[in-house]
Amino acid sequence: MPLLETENLVKRFGGVTATDDVSVSIESNERVSLIGPNGAGKSTLINLITRRLDPTEGEIRFNGESILGLKPHDVVQRGVSKSFQTASIFPQLPVIDNARIAALGAEHGAFRLNLLSRLDSYDEVDAVARETLQDVGLWAERETAAADLPYGDKRRLELGIALAAEPDLLLMDEPTAGMSPEETAATVELIENVKAERDLTFLLVEHDMEIVMNISDRIIVLDRGSVIAQGTPEEIRESERVQDAYLGGADR
Amino acid sequence: MSPRVPRDELRVLGLTALAVLAFPYLFAEAPVVSDVLNGYAGLATPILIWGIFVMGYDLLHGYTGLLSFGHAAFWGAGGMTVGALIHHAEFSFPLVAVALAVIVGILLAALIGYLSLRRGGIYFAILTLAFGQMIYYTMLGPAGQLTNGEDGLILDASSLFGVIPLDAGLPVLTPLGIIPSWLYAVTGVLTLVSVAVAYRILQSPYGLVFKAIRENEQRASFVGLNVWRYKLAAFVASGAFAGLAGGLHALQAGNASASPFYWIVSGDVVIMSILGGVGTLFGGFIGAGIYLYMDNVASSIGLIGDRWHLLLGVLFVVIVWLFPDGVWGGLRRLRSMVGSDDTTHTQTTDDGGND
Ligand SMILES: Nc1ncnc2c1ncn2[C@@H]1O[C@H](COP(=O)(O)OP(=O)(O)OP(=O)(O)O)[C@@H](O)[C@H]1O
Ligand SMILES: [Mg+2]
Repeated sequence: MPLLETENLVKRFGGVTATDDVSVSIESNERVSLIGPNGAGKSTLINLITRRLDPTEGEIRFNGESILGLKPHDVVQRGVSKSFQTASIFPQLPVIDNARIAALGAEHGAFRLNLLSRLDSYDEVDAVARETLQDVGLWAERETAAADLPYGDKRRLELGIALAAEPDLLLMDEPTAGMSPEETAATVELIENVKAERDLTFLLVEHDMEIVMNISDRIIVLDRGSVIAQGTPEEIRESERVQDAYLGGADR
Repeated sequence: MSPRVPRDELRVLGLTALAVLAFPYLFAEAPVVSDVLNGYAGLATPILIWGIFVMGYDLLHGYTGLLSFGHAAFWGAGGMTVGALIHHAEFSFPLVAVALAVIVGILLAALIGYLSLRRGGIYFAILTLAFGQMIYYTMLGPAGQLTNGEDGLILDASSLFGVIPLDAGLPVLTPLGIIPSWLYAVTGVLTLVSVAVAYRILQSPYGLVFKAIRENEQRASFVGLNVWRYKLAAFVASGAFAGLAGGLHALQAGNASASPFYWIVSGDVVIMSILGGVGTLFGGFIGAGIYLYMDNVASSIGLIGDRWHLLLGVLFVVIVWLFPDGVWGGLRRLRSMVGSDDTTHTQTTDDGGND
């Protein structure tokens, strides 16, 4: 049974069909990249999986169960977390609290009546927050307000927040977008490390083909809402349809 | 491993107890200070009562980032609970009545919060205002039998355990000064309890989740938190404090009427909250103090008189201008400028040791 499975997913925004009959699946321990030109529907597909958007038609199953009846926070509880395309952090709070919030949300459920117990007695929350910040290289900055981090570090924190949920499936929407070459290299290294250390299953949206080719077990190519190809990096490199789609939209 | 009552809580409670004990003396009796303040001991009680109200409101507005314009409803309902029990039911246990006022505050806040939190931002604020005003007009008209409208119910039997009148003097001399009345003593104890509870809520997971919602609501739900329920929890908690304060206020005023339900009260709380400092918790007491001082003391100084509202407005602008996080925030910044070594010390203590 695949970890994640979408079946004939259609999402229309008025006249625009953002995803058109998308059926894909991801196995446990598989690293999958989602590529395609601008407007292909990559972010839409991710947003459908996180339940930020309701599909017009189709089905999404995680661990064999439909998640269409769930709220976004329930999906996280099931084990899917997401890092956003732009850093979506808690700006006024110190970095450590950003990580603690994420650890708390995942470890202690969507809602608990623990309003009279002290957070500093939740050792496992602190442990997860600490481990995550060490993994993303922000432990030394833990007392800095998130808003004061340089751009690249904000994006790493963004990834950290998604990782602190210790997800079974991590969705990453362009984790290197807008980064300098050095920041990009650091982030790729970070993803490689986490992948090795945590046995992570992920779905990565990424424009940089070199990164995609190196990091993925399998690549799914989306164009104008439809899956036009999928396969190993080698298969995708040789596919003519992919070349065509990219020649059409390779203006970046 | 860790002590029963953590050190920071002991410190907060100790300082609060000290402040409650010293406050009436400073305000009304101390040689020089009281002349400058020109205060009277009777104002000490309402300042604590409003302070509780504002502190609870801060959990919602300052920490969770939800601006409500309807908190008069819970304050009024707390007062009316106490009023109806004592006046209509001749109930002679004011403290039990106040406990029931808290429960009424909680239930009403759960209902209004449930309905208002369906919308965000300004729509939420307007919904709370609308519900608040609906309740006000209900109290004025349809429920006039119960409330006696604007005139309200007289509560003359407000006595402790049915024996000691609450306003009876209790000129107990503590090392710090006098306790002016039984009511002040009761209010002081409940202030201490309120501070303990509110402070503990902020140290609990809720405190962090509230701030997460304020900072980035969408992200909070995408780390797996049920944002809606936590918002409702913040709303209900603030309603509980408002009910408590409203109940005490009725005892103190000796009257419970429809007037405390009026929307102006909701605005007063916002003003006090901003004066004292949004998201500072203790600032609520300072905000309440400044407001009530202007209203009761400054307004009786000939030159100011009826113009106290104008003066308050000017003061409001100056404070917001100088200290965006209110008087408490200003004091805190001053302190960290003077004694910066103290704050760095507390920050580094928790990662040494225990592993
Ligand atoms: N909320 C929305 N309302 C209307 N149209 C939308 C909305 N979100 C996406 N679309 C449209 O759906 C299509 C797919 O958009 P999507 O953001 O999924 O593309 P993408 O593959 O992530 O592109 P990019 O590489 O630029 O991030 C586009 O045509 C876009 O304009
Ligand atoms: Mg996108």
